[in-house]
Amino acid sequence: MDPQFLLIQATSGFTMAMILFLVASGLTLLFGVVNVFNFAHGSFYMIGAYLAYTCVSVLGFNFWASLVLAGLGAGVFGMLMESIFLRRIYGRAEEAGFQILLTYSFILIIDDLVKLVWGTEYKSISRPPGFSGAVELFGVLVPTYNLAIIALGLIVAVAAWLLLSRTRAGRIARATAIDREMLSTLGVNVPLTLTVVFGVATALGGLAGALAAPLRSVTPGAGIEVIIDSLIVVVLGGMGNFWGAFLGAIILGEVNAFAVAFVADWASLFSFIVMIVVLIFKPQGLFSPAKVRKA
Amino acid sequence: MRRSGWKIAMALSLAAVLLFPLISGAQEKVIKIGALYPMTGRAGLYGLDSVAAMEMAIAEINAKGGAAGYKLDALYTDSKVKPDYAVHVAKRYIEEDKVNFLFGTVSSGVALAVTEVSKQYKKIFIGTDAAATELTVDNLQPYYFRVSNDTFQSMAAGALYLKGMQAKKPWKKIAFIGPDYAYGHSQWNELRYNLDKLGVKYEVVGEHWPKLAQPDYTPFITTILNQKPDILVAGFWGGDTVAFIKQALPYGLFDKMLYFHPDAGGNYELMSAMGDELPNGLILGARHYNNWPETEGNKAFVDDFHKHTGRYPSYCAEAAYEGIYAIAKAVEKVGNPDDTEALVKAFEGMKLKMPEDPDGFTSYIDPASHQIVQVQAIGVTEPNDKFPPAKKMLGQWKVFKAEDLMPPKDFIEAHTKK
Repeated sequence: MDPQFLLIQATSGFTMAMILFLVASGLTLLFGVVNVFNFAHGSFYMIGAYLAYTCVSVLGFNFWASLVLAGLGAGVFGMLMESIFLRRIYGRAEEAGFQILLTYSFILIIDDLVKLVWGTEYKSISRPPGFSGAVELFGVLVPTYNLAIIALGLIVAVAAWLLLSRTRAGRIARATAIDREMLSTLGVNVPLTLTVVFGVATALGGLAGALAAPLRSVTPGAGIEVIIDSLIVVVLGGMGNFWGAFLGAIILGEVNAFAVAFVADWASLFSFIVMIVVLIFKPQGLFSPAKVRKA
Repeated sequence: MRRSGWKIAMALSLAAVLLFPLISGAQEKVIKIGALYPMTGRAGLYGLDSVAAMEMAIAEINAKGGAAGYKLDALYTDSKVKPDYAVHVAKRYIEEDKVNFLFGTVSSGVALAVTEVSKQYKKIFIGTDAAATELTVDNLQPYYFRVSNDTFQSMAAGALYLKGMQAKKPWKKIAFIGPDYAYGHSQWNELRYNLDKLGVKYEVVGEHWPKLAQPDYTPFITTILNQKPDILVAGFWGGDTVAFIKQALPYGLFDKMLYFHPDAGGNYELMSAMGDELPNGLILGARHYNNWPETEGNKAFVDDFHKHTGRYPSYCAEAAYEGIYAIAKAVEKVGNPDDTEALVKAFEGMKLKMPEDPDGFTSYIDPASHQIVQVQAIGVTEPNDKFPPAKKMLGQWKVFKAEDLMPPKDFIEAHTKK
């Protein structure tokens, strides 16, 4: 086997992994850290992509500024959804079930809203100026836009890790997963914390959607397509750990890249096989930090 | 005051109840069409374009007095691209709404389920898009008719195109990429069947099966580049084409091989979504083109659609439009929409001058397979901004004779024996 081709595939896998990680990062933050499951995470990814489309193609804004606006827009929408709807079911006996039902219904609602606002035609935006080509690194061709995504993926991973483990706000956010009652006894405004975390998570989803928009077609229904892969990434990595999700994304990306090259007929099966194997041997995921688990 | 207001309301409602039978009596002669199209999700575009085209045709026909004195009336339901749900709606259409015709579907999975309902209830089902060859071969039943071409016809035209190209610019190595379900697999099988039948020599260097709506094609792209085919045959559906092309562009894939996508690659929504980014020189085909043939009929259809909706139609609109005309024509001939067996006879062999017919050719429904027989054209992307927001359209057309594209006997026999 040509070693150069192995390097090329490994690079493809890593590129794929970084987008997977960015899309999954918001879900990791919610599901892994504050233990709220947002089935509609993919829909915020979609909202981000559409907002970026409007900013870039309709309003003519700079691409990078549009990324930020798309993230913020998705975050605001996320906070509204959390504070108006999701907040009402916290603390119910079957909270987890209600979370899935409620957030699932938002997939349908957001799909229809998007259809009303933007129509059903496929939308697409161009890569930003200067990022439409590719560069050769160690004999491997890598699109420059993918390099930007890799850089952003690393920045998000490091920033989230610092924020969650080294700051008071991060510790409070993690504590909401363990004991909300105790936290509010200690004087923390738990509902506000959850709203903010929800906003950050949906903003990350929106940012990922905006970033992916130049590489994909923006269509209604785009949200449901990314949620399964994101879930695999979160579960593979283990709850409560951004590095876990990071590693989960890399495993998924690399497995996919080599499956496509060597077992073409069964390629799409492999990500699930890997997940099953991991869950058999490490049911809590690869990185499951004991201190964050519930007693 | 209050009492008299109440009395007026009573009188009005009484009058309405009494008058109602008269009003509905006046409209009794109606042809009811039960349409099933996806209206949400990523297939929603095709459903909404089909519905808009149906409404156009219905308004045109009704304005001229309808068919045999009957007005056309359609019911629309979102198929949700779910076969079991579509079956439920089709049965409701027949049992409760008493429709005369079932109509539509984009997804072949939905069409294959609804055609069984049509068979069971002996209710004519006009297929306007779903392209699985099975519908008019393996699973053909007496009450199904399709007014758009199937994948076999696209692939037969594709094979003829590739054969013609080999004579001029020799190619040998070929690879395929398409979605990993029936639609992708039948395209690839039918293309190879037709290439073999034509005696074309080629070597397959790769077959790739991403899932439908695969978000990321990077590993596929680098693998294909490593396999170095002369021609990459693509069988993507919908927005997947956009995603693949965008992701393959920085790798220079389109400079290193010919991109050949004869069934759905030439859909207008690809041109409108990609604008300037769409590379020149891609060889693409579709079921209907906004800029070919340049006949009065096609121009009128495309312009009318644009006037009604503010956008140019995707390929699926034309067959939905023509399907309504086919129904009107059959009812006109039979004199009523209820004599199913006579209507079946009217559809068999029916000639339909469609927007996509070039001058000198008229599409017709093959009596044996119930499949419309049509000319196919395949074009090459080139700059053209007459259909905004698209900046590129197809040109340099190659046109293939309708009769050369129908599944031959041995293909039909091999598929219906089971």
